[in-house]
Amino acid sequence: VITGPDLANELVLRGLAEWVVIERAQELASLDEHARVRRREHRVLWQLTVHVDTPAGRGSAHLVIDAAAGSASAAVDQAVALARASVGPAWISRPLAAPARVKLEDPALATGDLADAVRELVDKLPRPVGVTARASLLRERVDVVARQGFHTEWTATLARVDALAIAGRRSLAITREARQLGGLALSAALDHAKRDLHLLQQAVAPSAGPCALVLRADAMLHDDGLGVWSAFASQADAVVERQGLTRYRERAPIAPGADQMAEPLTIRSNGALDFGVRSAPLGDQGDAVRVFALVERGTAAGLGLSPREGALRGRDPNGGVRNLEVATGSWPGTLDGVAPRVVEVRRLRSLAIDPYTGEASLEIALGIDHTAGASQPFRGGSIRIDLIASLAKARRSATAITRGAYKGPDAVLVERAELLG
Amino acid sequence: VLASLGVASAQAALWACGARQRPARRRASEIHPEIRTWLRDAVATLLGAGFSAVQVLAVSRQRTTAAVDVLGAGVARARTTGVVLTARDRDGALREHVTNALSQDGIAAAVEELAPKARAASVDFGPPPRPLPVPRPDPDLLADGQILARVAALAARDRELSSRIVYSAAVMDIDDARVWSVAPGRDVEQRLVRVRRSITRVAWDGSRPIISEAARAWRGGLDDQDLADSELAAAREGALAMMTPRAFEDREYPFALDPAVTASLIEAIVQTLLTSTAARRPEVADRLAIGARAAPALVTLIDDPGVPGAYGGFQFDDTGAPANPVRLIDSGLLATRLARPRRAGHVARVEPLSSHLRLLPGAVERDQLLDEGFTLEGPLGTVVDPASDRVVIAVARARERSGGKRTGRMFADIELVGDLSSLLASVTALSNQTTVIGVRDEVGGQPRWRSFDMPWLRGRGMLRARPRAT
Repeated sequence: VITGPDLANELVLRGLAEWVVIERAQELASLDEHARVRRREHRVLWQLTVHVDTPAGRGSAHLVIDAAAGSASAAVDQAVALARASVGPAWISRPLAAPARVKLEDPALATGDLADAVRELVDKLPRPVGVTARASLLRERVDVVARQGFHTEWTATLARVDALAIAGRRSLAITREARQLGGLALSAALDHAKRDLHLLQQAVAPSAGPCALVLRADAMLHDDGLGVWSAFASQADAVVERQGLTRYRERAPIAPGADQMAEPLTIRSNGALDFGVRSAPLGDQGDAVRVFALVERGTAAGLGLSPREGALRGRDPNGGVRNLEVATGSWPGTLDGVAPRVVEVRRLRSLAIDPYTGEASLEIALGIDHTAGASQPFRGGSIRIDLIASLAKARRSATAITRGAYKGPDAVLVERAELLG
Repeated sequence: VLASLGVASAQAALWACGARQRPARRRASEIHPEIRTWLRDAVATLLGAGFSAVQVLAVSRQRTTAAVDVLGAGVARARTTGVVLTARDRDGALREHVTNALSQDGIAAAVEELAPKARAASVDFGPPPRPLPVPRPDPDLLADGQILARVAALAARDRELSSRIVYSAAVMDIDDARVWSVAPGRDVEQRLVRVRRSITRVAWDGSRPIISEAARAWRGGLDDQDLADSELAAAREGALAMMTPRAFEDREYPFALDPAVTASLIEAIVQTLLTSTAARRPEVADRLAIGARAAPALVTLIDDPGVPGAYGGFQFDDTGAPANPVRLIDSGLLATRLARPRRAGHVARVEPLSSHLRLLPGAVERDQLLDEGFTLEGPLGTVVDPASDRVVIAVARARERSGGKRTGRMFADIELVGDLSSLLASVTALSNQTTVIGVRDEVGGQPRWRSFDMPWLRGRGMLRARPRAT
């Protein structure tokens, strides 16, 4: 069985250029209402990063090691061999910076039996419609040790609920994830599901044609992730940018005219957001997580930088793209006078984004067609859209929400789109 | 590129890029000979605590990935262990306790947490399992060099590489899992050696890389199968094919799905509509009652994990039940729903998942399947919406046919869209040849293995261009 001190000792003996060991001791409890299964897991995982300097340059390796996967010596052997096999241009690690100060642990989950907590979570689930849920709670202690004598630790919690809401002969799947139980906002999620299930029962087939497009929160953040905003996270990948494969470069407008808008788009990566699901004091390579702008008033402003990418560019690493904070706008979210025809998309069934171009295909699960004062729910149809250009010029609502890894407006309005049947 | 194709982990690809051949190393199985005793003790203790339906599932798994690419060669190995204790308590709820410590102390600690201070009951475990046949060669005893030699031989077979090929790789991926399932009256053990050999070719077409792959996946010996010369040539030609630059006209066409696209569609249908979990959605239950027509009469679909050599197959499932075939669709009628319990990596939570899906072949020669229309190749993903019946099948290439022959025109990034019921109703023929496809993906870091024995499928539907770079 591998232990943390064994790993550190083995790494010290190898005389490596740099190394970081992250130990994650995880406790997980889950409850599946439908299957009537209560599950507990205990596991200890290690993430091992090593850098080997050779005359030809520096090689790096990142391994995830199972607790029972053999000896520390063999694991380090493998990591070193892997690093030697991937030697690239030389770079020098910057001294490890202070970890971000961020709260990741829900005090309500810090102690006590997670199995009891998950049962209570499910028991107290609001049920405005028929709901069956699967909930899980994770409590994790993270220890980080690095060659430079650096040592830090923290604890984190994570709650996740996957629910199936049913009303009549219609159903909707809902997923919520948060560091705190209160952050799940399940009551609102299920109320929205109830309303949308009612709309689904009246829904008809879509009518193709040009329209203005409104994306409400459940559609905009499809699958409880970053949703349409993930197009910007892809563009902020430093490796892809260095290869020249991103759509725009730093200090250039993200789309023609994006910096000339009345309310130009600003997006920040905030990995130090208290209780953000992608927040952490340190990244997986021991790099300090920092807040940085991806887009500043319509202009590309920054990239997610790993230690290697930061060193190659002469900048500090920042932990990569994490939670996204999108600046709100002044649009009140109402549809009056917006356009002769407005398609309000409430739920998507799939969202496919080309990470290089930002071109996207949105398959609609539920929408409302607002034409000439009448509103008709519909299901089906799709929208194909250039997300970068469209979101750069979209009107953003004044109301902010925080959900999963997203904090920003709860809706956007794109003035020109086309609904496909 | 390898990782994006799913043919190897990013870690393995990294290793493959320039790795030197490491010295030969023998790593014998590290399974403790007393493991069965520990598992039986756990079952006896849980029964002594008053639990029912007790099962202990344990797995020791080693993944070996060997790759040879344009930059070098290398081997990566990773070992994972896990134990799942399952028991039904007096309230009728199932309790699961999972640990990754496959040791006497680790198992005992997990039992203690589930049933503190319980005394072991007397249990009849039935006859002990027969000794497992040892695969020849035994992958657990092969040195890196011996595995790499096989991959290098595969890489060396296709010498007609063009200067337009900017990347090529040969990969051998071996998942060697030993699984124990112990329950009262049923003590079984299996060794599942899953092998996947593949080659990848990449060439540029304008500003886009064209990626083409040929692969074979099976369960059994390392050398049981190999890629045919024709498959190597097809992968090369697939990468070198020039896409037709003019715009694709979106409209309804006759089409033929190649077996990989058929597999993508069938898997999406099964997972979205035909599992016991999917049937919890009223839209699915209403639409597809047992005995209802799900497809044309020429469609018969069977999940058959017992097929010898099937990549997704096994001898017993993750509850220890023997591998029996399940007929899901019989002559177009829904026969039953898929409820076979499987765990990703044998340790994740139970979910119904197919093993080896067989779509029974038709009577038409594959070359005679389509006179006019498009052959759709290279699945990029299929979405089936259980609520709206909408289906979107994304493919990498659509080859035009006219007069029963290829016209030479080929369009990139095409979608087949429409209502699933209409799409299935339009299926008029299946080829009499089939191809077996193995799929390995990961959920929560744990692997899932499936395979598909699929014919070419002819139908008619709306084809449109996917979003592309502007």
